Amino acid sequence: MADNGRKADTVTLTIDGHEVTVPKGTSLLHAAETLGVEVPHYCYHPGLSAPAQCRICLVEVEGAPKLQPSCVTMAQDGQVVHTESAQARRMRQGVLEFYLVNHPLDCPICDMSGECKLQDYVFNEGREHGRGREPKRVFGRDDFGGDVLYYGDRCVMCTRCVRFMDEVARDGRLTVVERGDRAVIDTFFESGLDGASFAGNIVDICPVGALVSKDFLHKARAWDLDHTESVCPNCSQGCNIDLHTRDNLVQRLKPRENPEVNGHWMCDYGRANYEWLNRPGRLEAPAVGRGDKRRASDWQHALHALFERLAEAEGASVRVVGSAFSSNEALDALRALAEQAGTLQAGVFRARRAEDEDPLPGFPILVRRRDLAPNVDGAGILGFTRVGDDDGTGGLEEAADHDGVLIVVGDELADQDESFGAKAGLFVYLGTFDSPAARNADFVLPLTTFAEEEGTFVNAQGRVQRFRQGLRGPGTAQPAWLVLGTLAAALTGGDRPVSAADAFASIVQRHAAFGGLIWEGVGSAGAALEAAHA
Amino acid sequence: MAISVKVMRRPEVGRTSYMRATLKGMSLTFKHMVNPTKVTLQYPEDQPDLHPRWRGTHRMEVHADGRPKCVACGLCPTVCPANCIRLVGGEDDQGNRYPIVYEIDEFRCIFCGMCQEVCPVEAIHVGRHFENAEYSRDRFVYDLDRLMEQDHPTTLLWDPSDSRSE
Repeated sequence: MADNGRKADTVTLTIDGHEVTVPKGTSLLHAAETLGVEVPHYCYHPGLSAPAQCRICLVEVEGAPKLQPSCVTMAQDGQVVHTESAQARRMRQGVLEFYLVNHPLDCPICDMSGECKLQDYVFNEGREHGRGREPKRVFGRDDFGGDVLYYGDRCVMCTRCVRFMDEVARDGRLTVVERGDRAVIDTFFESGLDGASFAGNIVDICPVGALVSKDFLHKARAWDLDHTESVCPNCSQGCNIDLHTRDNLVQRLKPRENPEVNGHWMCDYGRANYEWLNRPGRLEAPAVGRGDKRRASDWQHALHALFERLAEAEGASVRVVGSAFSSNEALDALRALAEQAGTLQAGVFRARRAEDEDPLPGFPILVRRRDLAPNVDGAGILGFTRVGDDDGTGGLEEAADHDGVLIVVGDELADQDESFGAKAGLFVYLGTFDSPAARNADFVLPLTTFAEEEGTFVNAQGRVQRFRQGLRGPGTAQPAWLVLGTLAAALTGGDRPVSAADAFASIVQRHAAFGGLIWEGVGSAGAALEAAHA
Repeated sequence: MAISVKVMRRPEVGRTSYMRATLKGMSLTFKHMVNPTKVTLQYPEDQPDLHPRWRGTHRMEVHADGRPKCVACGLCPTVCPANCIRLVGGEDDQGNRYPIVYEIDEFRCIFCGMCQEVCPVEAIHVGRHFENAEYSRDRFVYDLDRLMEQDHPTTLLWDPSDSRSE
């Protein structure tokens, strides 16, 4: 390779016999990671500073007089590193044995069991039998406040939690007290972590079961949970998350790394609000007929009848009520259907708005936004107007008294009474729950929630993000884009969408803001709308 | 097509006598009349000896204060090949992890004994027991109370005196 005289900004080194080239300033631990070699580590976390105190990431570097901590040793040209040499392995075995001097063998009752780093490392290369004869010291557990419980016995003193609160939350509420084997993590005041809005992250970064979530305590074993890539639906930041599900119920939400949106973190508000996805009593089958004439139906009959009514109503004035919890695909299909069925008067949606934002000081991109719905920005871009107040109520007076075609998608109409839509020529209600205000609906059609379908949201940064299906919908509930897209296609005689990708392609075609995006390109990490224009 | 007939030759008269076989059979009969060996077990008055490794319906061990030994670790439902164990864990008033729901569907169970083998606290056991008759099918789903009430002997999955058996 010709050297063009420029000072190289990469270094090439050898790790376990494999040559690897990494940017300057990369730690050995990271460089090994690019090769797929995991160097055990506790205190090091990519989102935090590295104090090199857990001493388990020590690796052998040829020429160095002793083992080097790979989390703070920077890669240098020509270095030869061994992570699996006899010396490194013996050292790790020794460190692990020291960790187990006081760590209780309570894996059967520990919530971290199955995703615990100490369990993994000891299983991989620890001693088969312990040699300790002395009794282990016992601390019991401590309620840190908020959603966090601390089991001092299990703690490995990596201080990730202390550093998270200091460096990222910038709210130093935790510290190490005492020394040696009496050292524990503790809070300063009685209030503990109460009122801290990002403290749930310390449960995620704890490598062992010392910090556990009260909400998740004893609820499920880690190996029973299915993980689905998704997007947090609780504010318009749209943190990337994994839905952890079991028995078709969401058990917890965990942040998924995305440096453009949420880093490694998510807020406690978002983390705690998932029970609505498990709420029973859903709409399960279509129903046809107004008021007392309502009869249970099936999709084929209901859609045929609805298609005929829409075809009859051609040219009527149409009002639609969307929802900021609906995917872009659903909202666009709703708009397309409304434009086909007649003259679209107005498309509106409502969303709750908090009093203030809640930024994460150490990672300022991540803000718990004021809009407490995932797709407020998407609805705006797709031509829906926000109405109502900050509680997500009111603003539907015109829709309630509309005398043409009225279509409600995803809004539960909780503040509306039974007279809603009484004057409408045709009132279609698509939702997840029945509502008293849907009494006058000619058609009540069951929809899936975002966790039960695929689709995209646009977050407050103007970023299109995909979520995937983690749950089965109840009964015959269908995604809104499928129902609305099928009807719109029937009216125009075009092809109906058969996947969320088709529905997304139709958005790209119809809206310049989405121009240039492709479904696969949105991927797991999302894609910025502006980037697509450039 | 002509039918071919195979003509069997009769054996000689000396070999057609049934007397010898009859005497042989009767001698066995008389031998048992004189010196009987018992084969029939007079169940239920007499109970059979079950092998130490006999694997029957389950039993949950309890602590001295009556709490189940189970800590709801979730290993038995994980290892169960028949998927017949339903477990919901929780915390009791003393802060101990315990099973709020622990059900075994004995109809689904294949009595492999892996639940006993995997249990870290020696709580769930398969039993040396076979009298399971019930009047209704739903009684075969044993709940926690029922499992704790069982008092039949438990199975030895391996010989404790043999160091290589575990």
